[in-house]
Amino acid sequence: MNDPSRKYRWLLLGMSLLTIGYLIAAAVRENFLGEWYRVQQEFRTILEAKATDERGKAIARDFRIELKQVSVPRLKVVDRCVSCHNGIDDPRMTTVPAPHAVHPGEILKYHPVDRFGCTICHQGQGAATSLHDAMGVDVAWDYPLLDRNLTEASCLACHDVEKLPQQQVALVLEGKKLYQEKSCGACHRLNGRGGTLGPALDNEGAKTKHQLILTNLAPPHTTWNWHQAHFRDPGGIVPGSQMKNPGLSAQQILALTVFMLAQRLRDVPESYLAPDKLEEKVRRLHPQPENGEQVYHQYCFACHDEGSYGRWDKTFNRFIPAIRGTSLQATATRAYLEVQVAQGRPGTQMPAWGKQAGGLQQAEIESLLNYLQPSNGNRPLKLVSHAPQVPPRGDSNRGAALFIAYCAGCHGIAGLHGIAPEIGNSVFQQAASDEFIVATIRNGRKGTAMPSFQPQVPGALAFSDTDLGDLLAFVRELGRHQTGTSGAPSQSSQSTPSRSNEAPR
Amino acid sequence: MAPADQSVAPSASREFLANLRHLPRTVKDAWFRLGHSPVSEREESQATFHNLFLHIHSVRVHVRSLAPRLTMGLGIISVSSFIILCISGVLLMVYYKPSTTLAYDSIKDLHYVVFTGRFIRNIHRWSAHVMVAAVFLHMARVFYTASYKKPREFNWLVGLGLLVLTLALSFTGYLLPYDQLAYWAITIGSNIANSPRELTDAVGVTPWFNPGGSQRRLLLGADYVGEDALIRFYVLHVFILPTILITLLGVHFWRVRKDGGLARPEDPMGGTAEWGGKLHKVFEPLKTKTYGLMAVVKGRRATVNRGPENTLMSWPHLFWAELAVFMLTVAIVLILAFHFDAPLKELANPLVPENPAKAPWYFLGLQELVSYSAFMGGLIIPMIAWIGLALIPFLDQQPGGEGVWFGSKGEKLVALQSFFFGLVAVVGLLAFTVNFGWLRSWFPSIHQLWIIFINPGSILVLLYMAWSLWVLKRRNSIRHAAVALFTCFLVGFSVLTYFATVHRGPNWIFYWWPSQWPMH
Repeated sequence: MNDPSRKYRWLLLGMSLLTIGYLIAAAVRENFLGEWYRVQQEFRTILEAKATDERGKAIARDFRIELKQVSVPRLKVVDRCVSCHNGIDDPRMTTVPAPHAVHPGEILKYHPVDRFGCTICHQGQGAATSLHDAMGVDVAWDYPLLDRNLTEASCLACHDVEKLPQQQVALVLEGKKLYQEKSCGACHRLNGRGGTLGPALDNEGAKTKHQLILTNLAPPHTTWNWHQAHFRDPGGIVPGSQMKNPGLSAQQILALTVFMLAQRLRDVPESYLAPDKLEEKVRRLHPQPENGEQVYHQYCFACHDEGSYGRWDKTFNRFIPAIRGTSLQATATRAYLEVQVAQGRPGTQMPAWGKQAGGLQQAEIESLLNYLQPSNGNRPLKLVSHAPQVPPRGDSNRGAALFIAYCAGCHGIAGLHGIAPEIGNSVFQQAASDEFIVATIRNGRKGTAMPSFQPQVPGALAFSDTDLGDLLAFVRELGRHQTGTSGAPSQSSQSTPSRSNEAPR
Repeated sequence: MAPADQSVAPSASREFLANLRHLPRTVKDAWFRLGHSPVSEREESQATFHNLFLHIHSVRVHVRSLAPRLTMGLGIISVSSFIILCISGVLLMVYYKPSTTLAYDSIKDLHYVVFTGRFIRNIHRWSAHVMVAAVFLHMARVFYTASYKKPREFNWLVGLGLLVLTLALSFTGYLLPYDQLAYWAITIGSNIANSPRELTDAVGVTPWFNPGGSQRRLLLGADYVGEDALIRFYVLHVFILPTILITLLGVHFWRVRKDGGLARPEDPMGGTAEWGGKLHKVFEPLKTKTYGLMAVVKGRRATVNRGPENTLMSWPHLFWAELAVFMLTVAIVLILAFHFDAPLKELANPLVPENPAKAPWYFLGLQELVSYSAFMGGLIIPMIAWIGLALIPFLDQQPGGEGVWFGSKGEKLVALQSFFFGLVAVVGLLAFTVNFGWLRSWFPSIHQLWIIFINPGSILVLLYMAWSLWVLKRRNSIRHAAVALFTCFLVGFSVLTYFATVHRGPNWIFYWWPSQWPMH
C-alpha cells in the first residue's frame, strides 16, 4: 500500500511514450515519406543538372517541394498527378525516366494542362497522391487509369472521331467499323438505333466494373479487361449469354474494346467541345438515311446472315428464316415485308425496326425492302402455276389435326414457341394474306427447312386443295386466339412467350 | 502641490513596475491557487474540490473502485474515446462539406492532401469503434457486478440512454463520407426504420396508416437517401446527438457521485482499518448525531456515516488511474489509426447496389434478424431487448452482490450454463435456417403475418425467455434469471453479429468465408 497508484503511473508513462512515438511517426510519414516527396527531390536534381542558362537556374532555384495540383472547376477536375509528373510541360525532359518526362506527342500544345487537367483523358483517381491510388485499379475507384493504348477512347468526349487525324484514333475507327461489320446493331442499341436483345451501349464506357459480371474474369478487374475477355468468349464471361462469338483477332478485340470505352455520355461544357463535335451532334439529330445494303449489314446480318438460306441458330435454338431467299421474294408483297420489318415479331428474337423502336427511318426501311426484294414489290403474287386459286377456308377442326400432324413439330402447337417462324404471331397474322399462307404451304421455302406440301413429285406427300383450305381455316383461327376474339384454347397463345425473356438485359 | 505630486507619483509608478516584474508569478498564482503540489490530505481535498472539472469526483475513493479488475476501466475508456471523437470530429468538420456533390471529394482531400487529415479521420473512425465496443462491455460489466441495484437504478437507465445515443451517433456518422458503403448501409438502416410497413402491408392498412414510411421520411427528409438525408444526418451527428450525449454524460457522472461512488460491498463495521499507512479505529457514527452533506467536505471526515477506511485520496491516486486509462485509449486508437485506414469506397451510386449491402458492424446482428423479418428483427426484438434491460433493476430488487463479479451464490454457474445454452440455441437456429430455409421456402404462398411472428429471430427470443423462466423457477432467484437472460442475449447478439459479418455474402447467402464470395 505504499503507493497504490504506482502501476497506473507506469501505465501512463508507457502509453504517453507510445502516443508520442506514434504522433512523431505519423508526422514523419506525412511529411517525408510520401511518394511524391522523393519524386520531387529527384526532379529537383534533374532540374539542376539541366540548368545551363540563367532561366534554367532560376527554375531549379524556385522549384519547391510541395503537393501540386491542377484545378479545373468547369470540368469538376482536381488532379494531383502533377505532384509526381513535374516535367510534363518542360520540353527539356525528353531523355529523363518515367514520372519526370515530358508528355509525349503534341497533345499538350492543344490541350494545356491547366485548362484540361489529366483525368479528363486518362481517367484514374486524380485526387490521389500515390501511384497505386492514382491508377485506381485495386482501390475503390470507378474509373481507373486507362492503359496508354486505350486513351484515345477519351477523344470522343469532345471530338467527332471522323475528323481527327486517323493514326491518332486508329483503334476507335477500326472498332467503329467492326461494330457495323459484325452487325452488333442487330441486338444492341447505340445512338437511338439497334435491336433490343442485348443491352443498349450508349453509355457503355461509363459503366464501372461493379456493373459487369466479374465472376469468370481473371484479374485485373478492369472494364477493358472484361470487354476483351467478353469479346473473346461472350458465354464464358456472362453465363447464359445469347451473344454470338464475334470471332475477332486480338487487335480487333482491342479496337472494339476501345470503341466501347468511347461510348460515354459525358457532360462536357460546350466551350470544351470541338466544332465538329457539335456538328456530329446535329447530324445525330437529323441522320442521313443509309442505303439498304448498309442497313441490312448493320442490323440484320447477325441473325439472318446473307439471307438466301434458312439457318439453324444454336443459341436461339430455332430456325432463322431466309429473308432474301427466292421463295420469299417471289411470294411476299412489299406491304407484308414492311410490316415484318417495322413491327418485328413480338415475343421472339426479332425486334421491331420502325422509327419508334429500332430507330430506322422510313426511307431506310424502304431501301432495306428494295434490298430484300431487288425486283421491287407491288407485283402480283406468283402462285404455283398448276393451282393458281386459293382454296376457300374449310373445316378448322380437320385443319387442326393436319396442323398437329405436319406443322406443329416445327411451328409449335399454337403456332408459337416452336423452332420455326411463329405463324400464330399477331404481326404475322395481321400482315399475311390467305394467298401468302397458301402459297408458302404449297411451295415451301427454297433453301430452308420448310418443304413444299404440294410437290410435283409422284408418290410424295401432297395436300389436296381441301386440305389446304382446312389448314388455312385453322391457321387463321390461331390469329383469332391471338387477338382474343374467341375463347383461348391454348393458354400459351395468351401469355408472353417465356423463351424470349431469357435474353439478358 | 509639487511635493505632494512627487510623494505619490514615484510610489505608484514603482508599484506598477513591481507588479509588472512580478507578473509571471502573480498570473501563475491566479491559475494555481494552492501555489504548490498538495502535500497534506486537506490540500489534496481542496485540489479536487475547488476545481470545476475534478469536483465531480469525491475527494476520497475506495480501494475497490480503483482496482482494475472491478471496472476494467471500461467507463473511462468509453468517455475517453468520446473525448477523442469530439476533438478529431471538430478537426474533420473544418474540411468536411455536407453536400452530396462535395462530401466525397472533401473526404478524398482529407485523405490525400490535408495535413495529417487521413490520420485524423482514421482516429475518428477507430475511436468510434472503440467507443461502441467499450459502451457495450461497460454495460456488461455493470450488469455482472450487479451495480444496477438500488440506489443506482436511475443511472442504469441513463446508461441505456447513452447506449442508444452512442449507436445513433455512430450510425449518423456512417453516411457522411457519402461513398457506396455509406449510401447502402444507410439505405439498409432507413429501411429498418420503414419496417413497420411489413406489418401494415401484411394486414393491408398501409395506404391509411403507415408509421414506418413516416418514420423513414422523418429520418431521411425524402423517400430516398440524398441531400436532405445527408444534411439531417450531419446536423444530428455534429450537434444534436453530441449535445444530448454530453448532457446525459454529465448526469451519468453526477449520479455515480450521488449514488455513493461505484457499487461495492459494505465494509464491515467496527474494528480497525488501514488508511494513510496506519491502523485506525474504524469510525462509528453516533446514534444521536446527524451527519449532513456538508460534513463530507467541510469537516475532517470524508464520507457520511462511514470512516475513511479502505479509501484513498482521489488526488492523486484516482486521477493517475483515470489519466492512465485515458492515455491507454489514446494509444490504442493511435496504433489502430496509424496501421489501418478507415474504409472509403467508390462515390455513392444509387444505380449500383453494393452486394452484400451491410449495415455498420454493431447493427449486423440486427440485420441478420431483419433478413428473417424486418419488422420483428429490426424493431420489435431490439425494443424487447432494450425494454428488458431497462426493467432489470426494477424486477430484481433484492440487494446483494453489488460491486462483485458474479456476486451471489451460484451466479457464475448460471452464467456459464446460460452461455452454453445461448450458444447452442443461436448456432442451432442459424444452422437450421441456413440448411433448411424457413416458412417461405416451404410454403411459398404463406401469409406474411406468419413469418413476422414465427421466424428464427422470434423463436430465439422465446427460447431465451423460456430458459430464463426455467432458471427463475429452478434457482428461485430473480437475479439468476436476469443473469441467464442477459447472458443469452449477449451470446446471441455476439454470434449473430459475427455470423452476419463473416458468413453472409452477396444476396445474404451463407458462405464459409468472404473469400468464397462470387465477384460482383
